[in-house]
Amino acid sequence: MADDRYQILALDEIEPVRAPRQQAQLLAVRRELGIRAFGVNGWRGDAGERVVPPHEEDSGNEELYVVVQGRATFTIGDDERDAPAGTLVFIEPETHRAAVAAENGTIVLAIGGTRGEPFEVHGWEDFAVAEALRDAGRHDEARATIDAAVEANPEAWGLVYNTACWESLDGNPDAAFELLRKAMVLDEAEVRKWAAEDTDLDPLRADPRWNELFG
Amino acid sequence: VTLAHLDELDAIELPDGFTWRPVRRRFGIQAFGVNAYTPGASGQVVEEHTEEAYRHEELYVVLRGRVRFTVDDAEHELRAGQVVFLRDPTLRRSAVALTDDAAVLAVGGRPGLAHEVSAWETLFAAAPAIQAEDWDEAIRIHEATLAERPDDAQLLFNLACMEARGGRRGDAIRHLRRAVELDPDCATAAATDTDFDTIRDDAAFPRA
Repeated sequence: MADDRYQILALDEIEPVRAPRQQAQLLAVRRELGIRAFGVNGWRGDAGERVVPPHEEDSGNEELYVVVQGRATFTIGDDERDAPAGTLVFIEPETHRAAVAAENGTIVLAIGGTRGEPFEVHGWEDFAVAEALRDAGRHDEARATIDAAVEANPEAWGLVYNTACWESLDGNPDAAFELLRKAMVLDEAEVRKWAAEDTDLDPLRADPRWNELFG
Repeated sequence: VTLAHLDELDAIELPDGFTWRPVRRRFGIQAFGVNAYTPGASGQVVEEHTEEAYRHEELYVVLRGRVRFTVDDAEHELRAGQVVFLRDPTLRRSAVALTDDAAVLAVGGRPGLAHEVSAWETLFAAAPAIQAEDWDEAIRIHEATLAERPDDAQLLFNLACMEARGGRRGDAIRHLRRAVELDPDCATAAATDTDFDTIRDDAAFPRA
């Protein structure tokens, strides 16, 4: 149910996307609704499956997790905590966190933003959706998803960077280097950090343009 | 504390008949607004309002039970796990509980701006003291927040209201004048706010 001013949906009716890097079922809520003020996504899992991928957040990034349905077991630093539906979990940014579903059909909502800064769309969910399409062999749809996301969020360095990774893996070094240059203009520090160890970019490392860009 | 069940949150029943379950304050979240609501005496679970003042996008998540959500004149019966996203801040929105166990989470923020904690949260926190006309406690709650956000005009205005009601004329005038300095619209609001009836005759009372 929707018009251009408001929208209603059911979390358990969003088609989950198997996010390849997170190894979990993503409900791309922010992307689905076009939210611009804060980050919000769901993770859905049956018993034993990930509902919060293991990670830490950078300093200043605040995330609140809400168990909407089912039950999850959270690992927060070295602690393990039971979290039935209705539980809210707030974790300091640099603390390691992860959660697995303790019941089938568990849904955990993750809400996030950066303290003192406007929310920016980084586009990682768009990339997760696109990558799932690509993994399913639906290359044209994957590329169309990325192109639309870049058009909607031209400042999202991650989208450009990850597209460069695809070009690298597909054996298109010219396109890959062009995209890496664009990504560097958007956020050089992040691109340098990720490119240093990203195996997707291994096919490019012997190319003289690599040292021109990162040397 | 990093983890709390909805039922472990504070429950502050407000005069409009809904119960505020502070989430942002509980965890000290600064990056976005987030609170939960459960029905109070009237069965209301989300008070009728727009977001025209704050220009927030709002996402409501039904965490438990069923509610009837009204957006302008459209009514929607929602179950647990359904969400309403309102991108247009001018829409009137409210919800009533259809089951006693209903609970709704509200998330809000303004696109393109860093989140600022809304002054109404402090007013809600002070609601029990205000209802009991315990002005010292209502003032204490506002002063505690003011220490964190000394230039929040709405907070200063609300504090001045409490001080006027509590007979602290000098403090009320001082804080109201500062609120007007920061936001001249406060003078217009003060002209008709009955909280200031006892101090409006003061020569130092700010005029619009």
